[in-house]
Amino acid sequence: MNNSLLELNARERAVALLDKDTAQELIGPFDNIISPHLIPQNIVPESDDGVIIMKGQLKHLNCVIISIEGSFQGGGIGEVGGAKIVSALEHTLLDNKNGEKVYPLIIFDTGGVRLQEANYGLLSISEIQNMIIELKQYVPVIGLIPGRVGSFGGMSITTALMSYIITTDKARIGLNGPEVIEQEAGAREFDSSDKNLIWNTLGAKQRKATGIVDEVIDDDVDAFRSTIAKTILEKKDSNRDQQVNFYLSLIETLDPAHMLTTQEYTNLYRHVSVHDHHLNSAIPSDYPTITSRGRHWFEQLTQIKNAHSDIPTVLHALVNGYEYISIVPDKNNNFPRVRHGEVGLKEGYTVANVINDLIDRDKDKKTKTPIVIIVDVPSQAYGYNEELVGIHMSLAASVSAYARARQAGHKIISFIPGDAVSGGFLAHGLQSNRLIALNDSSITIQAMSKESAARITNRSLQELEQATKNTPAMAYDIKNYQKLGSLFYLISNVKSYDSSDYAINIVKNAINSAISDLENKPTDLSFRYNNKIAKESGRVATNKIRLLMDKQWN
Amino acid sequence: MEKLYFKFTTTQPVTKFVHVGVVASGDLEIILRPNNHSYSTLNIITGSDGFKSTWSNVLSRFFDRYPLQGDFEINDFGATPGVVNLRLSQVMEVLKNEQ
Repeated sequence: MNNSLLELNARERAVALLDKDTAQELIGPFDNIISPHLIPQNIVPESDDGVIIMKGQLKHLNCVIISIEGSFQGGGIGEVGGAKIVSALEHTLLDNKNGEKVYPLIIFDTGGVRLQEANYGLLSISEIQNMIIELKQYVPVIGLIPGRVGSFGGMSITTALMSYIITTDKARIGLNGPEVIEQEAGAREFDSSDKNLIWNTLGAKQRKATGIVDEVIDDDVDAFRSTIAKTILEKKDSNRDQQVNFYLSLIETLDPAHMLTTQEYTNLYRHVSVHDHHLNSAIPSDYPTITSRGRHWFEQLTQIKNAHSDIPTVLHALVNGYEYISIVPDKNNNFPRVRHGEVGLKEGYTVANVINDLIDRDKDKKTKTPIVIIVDVPSQAYGYNEELVGIHMSLAASVSAYARARQAGHKIISFIPGDAVSGGFLAHGLQSNRLIALNDSSITIQAMSKESAARITNRSLQELEQATKNTPAMAYDIKNYQKLGSLFYLISNVKSYDSSDYAINIVKNAINSAISDLENKPTDLSFRYNNKIAKESGRVATNKIRLLMDKQWN
Repeated sequence: MEKLYFKFTTTQPVTKFVHVGVVASGDLEIILRPNNHSYSTLNIITGSDGFKSTWSNVLSRFFDRYPLQGDFEINDFGATPGVVNLRLSQVMEVLKNEQ
């Protein structure tokens, strides 16, 4: 096509969308900032780390375009690229708060977390999501998906948080890439070699028919410019992250044992009778069920024995002034992909439902109920039906609920006695303002299982393990994770299944001190890069980028 | 991955910063900064090991014809000599357009 946006690289895309001679790049190739984590892993870096920040005007409207380069490392988000996005969005927010309109646009072309910097990727993406949710109160935050990589992984969740999504028919959106589903759940669940299947389920046409994207337009720069300007001027917002009752109603009518055709799902989507949902607090029962670290600590901290919930995978209760919430396994769940405690369609929306209700209840209160997220999530659910319905939107709903609660003044603590992996962690844990963990070697913290990460990055399991052993960016264990500076506190003398009064008291004290530490502190996520460990070693590049952005923004 | 360094005596100082290319599969990026020496430096990071002599040939031929003086950084993700030449000509193009 003559005036194609799709065929341009990330920098050219940003320049093409802006009015002639108005584009000005911030933290560009001459600023000498590359990822410090790639060369040590024998990977060639890029001078912009695959993220281009371009200020300028679009039809005379002040904009900042964040354009992700899909052909560099699959558009994966690492520390430097992530910090560029977060700091640009922060300045955009500040300008808008000061009454100066600046409209943010993100061009998605990304596989999500950059697996070679997995832990930074997850942290960055949660910080990006936090900014978008706050910015939406001031201006529409517009997402473009021209296509090639599309938008996958943690960044698909980010897509779902955008006010409005414009794509071409070459775009694809999904949480788990087909190869990862095949690796985790088998080819019968999703055959990654079946290109038709992939396009029919994840392609823009189907996504438009079922509310996952807003507009599919021609691959033409002028068409994009006009559609963007219209979206800005009409302040369009689909509130995609707040359709909790719609989707909970839809999911109830779905038979998880049957693989839906796209037509069947489209019909289902068009005929949902929506009703309100509220999840009662967990109650004690006489029936012990399979245990997990998440359930164990929920029961210890709330003193609810054999906690029973109407949604068996989501436990919550308000005890002694704190709202506790945990996602737990359910071995007979009718959704097979959540039986080990994964965050599935119902789980994301249910967590969002619980938190939204709490925000509502405390709306007019001066002191908001603190929230304690008990984190034990092995991953998100890997399944075909999940992708067809758009599991990334379910996770986005809970990301949004937690972020809005925090921004409204709820103090949120994530207590990690179990696994904290990937999209599950983004949805249930990473929007808290303080993270506390047990120092237990059974805990896995990461963006992807080792088997899948090895497959996607073309390494053997052995090579991957070698690379991750001493690199905190790639760590799978909590001790290395601590070196990033993201933890508020690592509890050293309690193990994942301890149940002595002594152990419980230590954990309670840690939670209490994290909550008191939040008194009169910012409601954002800045603690993670502002503390001593982060500044000295864990987030050096992040802080460098933030300073440079401060200098270059105006 | 391999890091390579080259130095060529050159005579035509550049006055502009230039950036071209993308570190995509089979491609590379070139970052050129002006310098005050009488030679050019090239710091190359390449994903394909063992091609030092090929690089040396391609670059010698280029600097023989166009003795551009500046500091070059190249991040290469498996570009063929043809693509390397293409990107170098693109640098020339940008310099010419901005003069």
